[in-house]
Amino acid sequence: MIDRRTALAGVTAMFGTSLFAPIARAAGLAPAAALAPPVISEGLPSVAVFTPTQRALMTALSERVIPTTDTPGAIAAGVPAYIEKLLADWALPGDRVPIVAGLDAIEARSQQDYKVSAAKATPAQQDALLTLAMNGQIPGGAPFFEAFRQLVIAGYYTSEIGMTQEREYLPVPGEYNGAFPYSQVNKVYSA
Amino acid sequence: MAATNRFDAIVIGSGISGGFAAKELTEKGLRVLMLDRGKMVEHGEGYPYDGKPAYEVPARNMMPKPLIESDYFIARYGYVSPSNQGFYNDDRLNPYAFDEGSKFYWIRPAAVGGKSLIWGRWSFRWAPEDFQANARDKIDGEWPIGYDDVAPWYSYVEKYIGVSGSRENLPYLPDSEFQPPMPMNVAEKWLKARLESKFPGRKLINTRLSNMTEDKPDQNRTKCQFRNQCGNGCSFGAYFSTQAVTLPAARATGRLTLRSDAVVTNLEYDPQRKRVTGVRLVDAKTGQAEVVNADLVFLCASAMASNQILLNSRAPGSGRSWFDTSGTLGRYVMDHIFRVSINGEIPGMQDLIEYGRRPGGVYIPRFRNIGGDEGVGFRRGYGYQGSAFRNAAGPVGFGASMKEGMRRYGPWKFGMTAFGECLPYADNRVSLHPSKVDRFGMPLMKFDVTFRDNELKMMADARAQGEAMLKGAGLMNVTSYEGEHVPGDAIHEMGGARMGRDPRRSVLNGWGQAHEASNLYVTDGAQMASVSCVNPSLTFMALTARAADHAVRTRAMA
Repeated sequence: MIDRRTALAGVTAMFGTSLFAPIARAAGLAPAAALAPPVISEGLPSVAVFTPTQRALMTALSERVIPTTDTPGAIAAGVPAYIEKLLADWALPGDRVPIVAGLDAIEARSQQDYKVSAAKATPAQQDALLTLAMNGQIPGGAPFFEAFRQLVIAGYYTSEIGMTQEREYLPVPGEYNGAFPYSQVNKVYSA
Repeated sequence: MAATNRFDAIVIGSGISGGFAAKELTEKGLRVLMLDRGKMVEHGEGYPYDGKPAYEVPARNMMPKPLIESDYFIARYGYVSPSNQGFYNDDRLNPYAFDEGSKFYWIRPAAVGGKSLIWGRWSFRWAPEDFQANARDKIDGEWPIGYDDVAPWYSYVEKYIGVSGSRENLPYLPDSEFQPPMPMNVAEKWLKARLESKFPGRKLINTRLSNMTEDKPDQNRTKCQFRNQCGNGCSFGAYFSTQAVTLPAARATGRLTLRSDAVVTNLEYDPQRKRVTGVRLVDAKTGQAEVVNADLVFLCASAMASNQILLNSRAPGSGRSWFDTSGTLGRYVMDHIFRVSINGEIPGMQDLIEYGRRPGGVYIPRFRNIGGDEGVGFRRGYGYQGSAFRNAAGPVGFGASMKEGMRRYGPWKFGMTAFGECLPYADNRVSLHPSKVDRFGMPLMKFDVTFRDNELKMMADARAQGEAMLKGAGLMNVTSYEGEHVPGDAIHEMGGARMGRDPRRSVLNGWGQAHEASNLYVTDGAQMASVSCVNPSLTFMALTARAADHAVRTRAMA
């Protein structure tokens, strides 16, 4: 399913800069009028947060944090796009720093240990690299790991896959039971 | 537009008080113009994210940080999120003098319905003791009315709006006309039994909430569906809002005209006749100013905005409001003090979880200084609002094992927050900025309001007692937190145009009627001479209905 706003943002790229105003507004691309509250940006990231190498590694590592098991993993849930969009437009520029620095440090370590770009390393090698970061054995590794894991978790468990497949979502519960057996669901209910 | 006689009454503001004023006045036969400075929000269709999970809300319903910094740097303290952003004030466009005076969070809505769309919905009656507190403590600001004056009006509004709660027969927390309470969960029942036996006289009770547990088919309203997405707007009409409750009733009379985007700047006044003669407004879309007229004006713009409008109603060249002959206008501003929370883990019951997302929780009513000073080092008291819940287990490591671990729940936790009464102080005041104006030419509001020794001592006690109660009840890993106490933060700001018997010491009489203009009523939080420690909105509704009844009865006699 293509998100309507993402699709519109793609369309606008075809026309270049002189957009018919309603299309620009629908795509969330028009600059906020001075006397109107700004619209939350939902199009493509307004800036490229990652180089292609960093993006490929970020994508691979997101899947290592939440892999595909009996339910889909981070990539299927759109987590990499969420992370780049968040860092581009929904977070402050400073929030990108530990992520980008950590990716670069992991890349360097992969080149050193495995003579291969980290994105192309095996899952076992990527797990080993993430473990080094988690344990602070790579420069900037610990702050990277904490921030990155939070991003993956936030993106995954607020995605459609995370909320409705990995977890259970009740759109309209209709009732409240404050002593409900976990064994009847064996999952966590999404908020 | 020239003056017209199309309307019998003008209601300024469409929130909890304004909406109720419009309902009551139109139902009593008056033709009413209701004004709101915010944009139109219709019930249902005005709630774009009602029923939407996070992945269908912009930015997964987490407010983007750049947007907070640029436009919602105050609204952030009022729980703005992408799903309800349209109901909130844009702090860049509509500022106050937040960089001058003392720190104050003025959290404002900017939509028809006002704070009724974004409120916490906890609904309590005041106790007889609350109305007597200032007099008993010999604190300036004796209430001209008592519990018995308001009690029938509490019943009247409760029956209409629907309040869920449990009958407890507590002298300090009178029961409302209740629908059945929302149930406690298994951990809260566990805590209630242990806390009440260990601390005799203290109670842990079901919350009292405007979320209904029974349908009101005559109002096209359905009971709460336990989505706990109230802030997105509720198309079921399960909780009290202007849109769900009072606006449909007022419209049904055929006598309501509702005008959004109408920013009231001041009231026009005839000092000879001692009457308000007009309401000046600026159309927010066109920038055009105009004056509208009616015999009767209800000012319900929200506590602080009503103060601002009153302060800005003055003779040309005068710095003094027509309504400030007492010198008390803008003074005795209060808020609840509440940045103390206590948390702990409830052992056991690991096989049980919550089904459904319940709004609200449980309440520990006030136990301090009831009936008189107990010598605890401060006056008045506080209550706690809390709930027990289980979060998903936290992440451990990463990968398949982390994912699997997060399919389980962590332990039952209980958290509660104290809400304490703030005393009225003459020098806790709001005023008009001497030089800065907003885009409508209205002088900015300036806040000089601070919590004092009594409030801070009260919070220290609330923290210590809260820890003692949770530890005593057997909770584990009990921790407490005290944050920065900023007035306005509780969004229970009140006072500034208080009621009183003496026109030399107050702005309004016991009906909410201005001493200086018998055709002006102020029935929102501005009228309050003290603030109790319970959530105030239900009292505003009762006082508004009572004032509307008085206004129409005296009008009939005139």
